Amino acid sequence: MMTTSPSPARIVLRHSLGTVVREQTVAIIAALFVALIFVSAFLGWSATSTVDAIYKSAAVYLTKQGMAVPPNPLLAASPLYLLRNMATYVSLIGSLAGIVIGYQLIASDRKAGVMPLIGTRPVERRAYALGKTAALVSILCGLVAFAALVSVATFFILPGFHLSAHDWVKLFGFYAVSGLYMLVFGLLGLTFGALSRSETVGLLIPITAWLSFTFILPQLTSNINPVASLNPVTALTAPPSSTFFQLTGLLLGPVSLAEAYRTLAAQLLDMLPPGFADRAAISPWATLLMALVLLALAARSALSRMDMTRGDYNG
Amino acid sequence: MPDTVIEIVDLNKTYASGHTALRNLTLEVRQGEVFGFLGHNGAGKTTTIHILTTLMAPSSGMAKICGHSVEEAPNEVRRHIGYVPENVRLYDTMTARANLRFFGRLSGVENLERRIDETLEFLESQHLADRLVGSFSKGLRQRIGLAQAILHRPAVLFLDEPTSGLDPLGIKTLRDLIVRLNTEFGTTIFMNTHLISEIAKTCHTIGVLNQGRLVFNDTITAVSERYGDDAALEELYLSITPVARKDEAA
Repeated sequence: MMTTSPSPARIVLRHSLGTVVREQTVAIIAALFVALIFVSAFLGWSATSTVDAIYKSAAVYLTKQGMAVPPNPLLAASPLYLLRNMATYVSLIGSLAGIVIGYQLIASDRKAGVMPLIGTRPVERRAYALGKTAALVSILCGLVAFAALVSVATFFILPGFHLSAHDWVKLFGFYAVSGLYMLVFGLLGLTFGALSRSETVGLLIPITAWLSFTFILPQLTSNINPVASLNPVTALTAPPSSTFFQLTGLLLGPVSLAEAYRTLAAQLLDMLPPGFADRAAISPWATLLMALVLLALAARSALSRMDMTRGDYNG
Repeated sequence: MPDTVIEIVDLNKTYASGHTALRNLTLEVRQGEVFGFLGHNGAGKTTTIHILTTLMAPSSGMAKICGHSVEEAPNEVRRHIGYVPENVRLYDTMTARANLRFFGRLSGVENLERRIDETLEFLESQHLADRLVGSFSKGLRQRIGLAQAILHRPAVLFLDEPTSGLDPLGIKTLRDLIVRLNTEFGTTIFMNTHLISEIAKTCHTIGVLNQGRLVFNDTITAVSERYGDDAALEELYLSITPVARKDEAA
């Protein structure tokens, strides 16, 4: 007996979550992201504990000498500064994880060759697209929630750090922005997973876009060389004041996604260098949201127009 | 259920490359028939199935399944059809039952687990239920492919070159299943093939497609009365598809 289909998008979502986690590349990139989250937390904890220990030793020595003890430098900085490495890892590995997960969500169906079988089911293409997008959002939310949990635990474990209500809001704001940033790249992976006829090209195009956003555009707009892009602090130093960088900053700044994310992260984690001025014509929030909307539309269009007669990639 | 379950009128398909696959195809298949669609490779058989199963839009013309237009009501069409592609592909890392569960859910099948058991029993494949599909031979894969296609008890079943790549025993098993599906469930079957022997043993009516045009359409009974045995049927087929034969010879 037939009934109207009970939420096909949910069926696709559940099924996609089950199949994509079996993909080796997804498991590896997710594990790498998780590992780096721990590394980031450890580095923050290690650096802070070392500075704190040195300060305490110095304070004991100074007290013995009858000299004045200066205030603990750790207390002068925002406790959120502790997470500066996190922004770098999200920008590099988080976005890459987004691409791989988004791509594999479609590629797992295409490589299995089941598209004609799905295409002949009473399921609207947009329900399929919705299910896949929901799966992408769910996985990325899981990764970001895990990172947030590690950060919160770090703050509870470290002595002497007390986050105000405003700090907590900024902390969760940072993770929300990080999730949106990863989602942009996830949608890019989803789009090319659906559009591409070749498995290799389908992954190569989003990776090239990732390289361009992460390393090439910041170099063109702000003279940030690729190595500096890996550094949480120097990536946001003031760009040269030459006409070339004035122009590229103004024109390419709005599409320089990685810079927009780093600027937002720096604002939220209180690590924006003093006197830093973003020269892009639009705010980093607008850049991120614009990219998100455009790629969501692109992914929807690609998934709705996907060739369902083909069981596989061309090779 | 209308008496004519597949209705095609002046169907045309030209691909973006400029290749015309179908030219003014007009055809009817009645309820309960096993229809054999015969033609050389590239004649347009698979294109026809892709349009009838809503996987592809026609360039012009009209096609209806059980009274529903493939273009205007694709989901209604999908509720009434099952489809087994030429090379059945399933999720290799999942068991046969997990595959059937997914496709059954998408088709909105109620009492799904019971239906899976019934379907596997019908196909004499209960022993395959909990095995990974990746370990299956072509014949076993074909059977699970058939299971996913009939799980929701469709009115029309489309089979694209179902015997392709099967050994003689696999071909006979599949042929018997097609006949049982037709007689026990009353399923109308539309089968693409280029094996004349299969057409003669399984089908009620045949259509011959040559370079996108329907060049012959009649019942097997009428053909047998007129032309005699399988060998004569083969001669008939070759005589009405001369252009393709010349191409192959070249």
